[in-house]
Amino acid sequence: MTRTLEPETSAPAPLKRPGRASALTYKHRLSRLDVKVSPYLYVAPFFVLFGLVGLFPLVYTFVVSLNNWNLLSGPGEWVGFDNYAAELSDPLFWNSLFNTMSIFLLSSIPQLVVATAIAAILDQNLRAKTFWRMSILIPYVVTPVAVALIFSSMFSEQSGLVNHLLSFVGVDPILWKTDVLPSHLAIAGMVNWRWTGYNALILLAAMQSVPRDIHESAALDGAGFVRRFFSITLPSIRPTMIFVIITATIGGLQIFTEPRLYDATSSTAGGAHRQFQTTVLYLWEMAFQRQNFGKASAIALILFVIIVAFGVLNYLISQRIATADSRSDAKNNKRAVRRTLRNGAKEPRA
Amino acid sequence: MKFSQRTKVGAAVACAASFALIATGCSSAGTDGASGGDIELTVTTFGSMGMADLYAEYEAANPGITIKANNIDTGGNARTDAFTKIAAGSGLSDVVAVEEGWLGSIMAVSDQFVDLSEYGADDIKDRWVPWKLEQGTDAEGRIIGYGTDIGPEGLCYNSAAFEAAGLPTDRAEVATLLGGDDASWESYFALGKKYQEATGKAWFDQSGFIWNSMVNQMDEGYYTADGELNVVDNAELKAAWTQLADANAAGLSGKQAQWDWNKGSSFTDGTFATFMCPGWMLGVVQGQVETAGGDATGATAGWDFADVFPGGATNWGGTFLTVPTQSKHPQEAADLAAWLTEADQQVAEFKAEGPFPSVTAAQTDPALSEATGVSAFFNDAPIAEILTKRADGVKAQFKGPDDSTIQEQVFGPSAIALDQGVAGDKAWDDAMTLFDQLIVNK
Repeated sequence: MTRTLEPETSAPAPLKRPGRASALTYKHRLSRLDVKVSPYLYVAPFFVLFGLVGLFPLVYTFVVSLNNWNLLSGPGEWVGFDNYAAELSDPLFWNSLFNTMSIFLLSSIPQLVVATAIAAILDQNLRAKTFWRMSILIPYVVTPVAVALIFSSMFSEQSGLVNHLLSFVGVDPILWKTDVLPSHLAIAGMVNWRWTGYNALILLAAMQSVPRDIHESAALDGAGFVRRFFSITLPSIRPTMIFVIITATIGGLQIFTEPRLYDATSSTAGGAHRQFQTTVLYLWEMAFQRQNFGKASAIALILFVIIVAFGVLNYLISQRIATADSRSDAKNNKRAVRRTLRNGAKEPRA
Repeated sequence: MKFSQRTKVGAAVACAASFALIATGCSSAGTDGASGGDIELTVTTFGSMGMADLYAEYEAANPGITIKANNIDTGGNARTDAFTKIAAGSGLSDVVAVEEGWLGSIMAVSDQFVDLSEYGADDIKDRWVPWKLEQGTDAEGRIIGYGTDIGPEGLCYNSAAFEAAGLPTDRAEVATLLGGDDASWESYFALGKKYQEATGKAWFDQSGFIWNSMVNQMDEGYYTADGELNVVDNAELKAAWTQLADANAAGLSGKQAQWDWNKGSSFTDGTFATFMCPGWMLGVVQGQVETAGGDATGATAGWDFADVFPGGATNWGGTFLTVPTQSKHPQEAADLAAWLTEADQQVAEFKAEGPFPSVTAAQTDPALSEATGVSAFFNDAPIAEILTKRADGVKAQFKGPDDSTIQEQVFGPSAIALDQGVAGDKAWDDAMTLFDQLIVNK
């Protein structure tokens, strides 16, 4: 908006004088080169590595997905998009997608709500702050394999801790590993246990950067804790919230270790009847047990598209968090424009 | 510029890390052993194959050879490891152990493994029981695997449970009761019904292992001898399934999760009375009892091992040593594999961890019947003697490339469904649906 006001003449091009260019010394040229090229060199290592371990595998996976490719005997004939068509009409693929979505929703939503609440509490003036903050991070330090083994034992159907505790309140044993919803709840529990604290810390960091004086003046105006939380804290941490939601989405849709080890003795990964087989688990089974590399690659790319779609969707949704904030942003901008016009300043505020 | 102490340390770490990156990037030529003819052989085994102590002996007898061994915890993980490395085209050890269950997949790419006949297999091929050698030979007659152990099946039974039901507990009497050499699945399930009526308890742990044993006994299993799929409209298979479903309807199954058994405690609390026991399973039973906090010495555990198996002799499992074509030292690797499967070494392996020898000279070796911790656990049963008898009459069944997928993913879920009370026909139909999805239209 303010860009249009930028006076074209504010930075007059230096007048070229004959003979000036040749007067540049070697050092000058080197330093100009430094200014122009160095930034690219600094960021190059990432892009080179990304190309090597990110882009190349992605393209290669795409090529594999177009072939009838056996894990052991290698590439077979070119089948075009047949693998994609076969997977999209395979009930087992949709089953895995349903399980993924179910576990994703059961984990991400409670996780983010609870993480935000924990962060808000930790943002208060507590005693022994570091102790509380480190405590919520401990589950994140434990490896997922150990978590899965512990949960798997706790949710054992015959002699697990959970069913034992439930029996005290007169609840019949729940088939935590056989039935669909209970198994999803248990796996979502593992994910939540591990990630809630981590997300809470990130959100806490964002909350801490919210200027205290805004809170104070709102409190002076009579706004209670809840009102301040929804009208000040949440809008202010929006960028961080978007980050947390998108990483949670990516992680949630790629869940593998927890369902793989939840019932490690099962001959079919993800439960005998695939009752908690997620899409990544299905992909893994397709590649390394059923040995169909082509279809596995197709699944990987379908999943990639789904994750991107979900990421975009979540971005759009989370943009709507606290529209009040964007409104005030717009107001500020307008005010700035007016001020600029009034002062006739050559350089608009950034 | 003056660096702080921390910066210096940081720089040192960074340098070390980047150097490590570069160093590992170009250190794959390690197995060449450039120094004066020294050869390093890599070996990948899994589970309890009992070879760990033998490598040093081989190194001492063969100067210039060093062995780098890696033992993977389970056969399933070893399969993933081997498959991944075959797919990658590199990384396989010089000697790779292959389990019978996924040998069918390996046979489909047998050209990735050297023909051991070119490295002296023909001189030693009489050492194995014939069907073991046959299993390790591919369709073109190339020998790609030297047999290590085999898994002849006998019957484990809990004598305490038998006593409670008023059945005999002596292992010879138990064998006779089941019909001795004529023991069939009918007689096994009939005795089970008697047991169930007397005690109200289950006869076997779960349906999956019974089903595997039944299928392994058939002349042709999931594939015909010429390698055609043999599942749909296979009357023999369906009849066995119906028999198993009837046994479930009579309440003979303990509905256990296989390889879990309620963390082993179902072996100690009399949940079930009998158990399918290939030779290598004996150590598993002992381990389960130990896990559950039971008496691992066996004095009060009550488990025993009878020289009988429903439906006659059968084999479950067993392993082969192969040499991939990726190996840079196929001759030395083949020599090592041949040595590891010699009679003396197979006896040592049996005594170390219990895999039963596939070499006839080892099976008759008196040292084999010396008491071990496992035989003590099974009430001093003459394990080696029984297993040798149980190995008699085993035939090699053709295992196709998808054999383990059919067993685990097509019939596995339906066998669990039988345990959970689903009707036999419904469970069979579900298996056929899965067969169509996973195998026919794969």
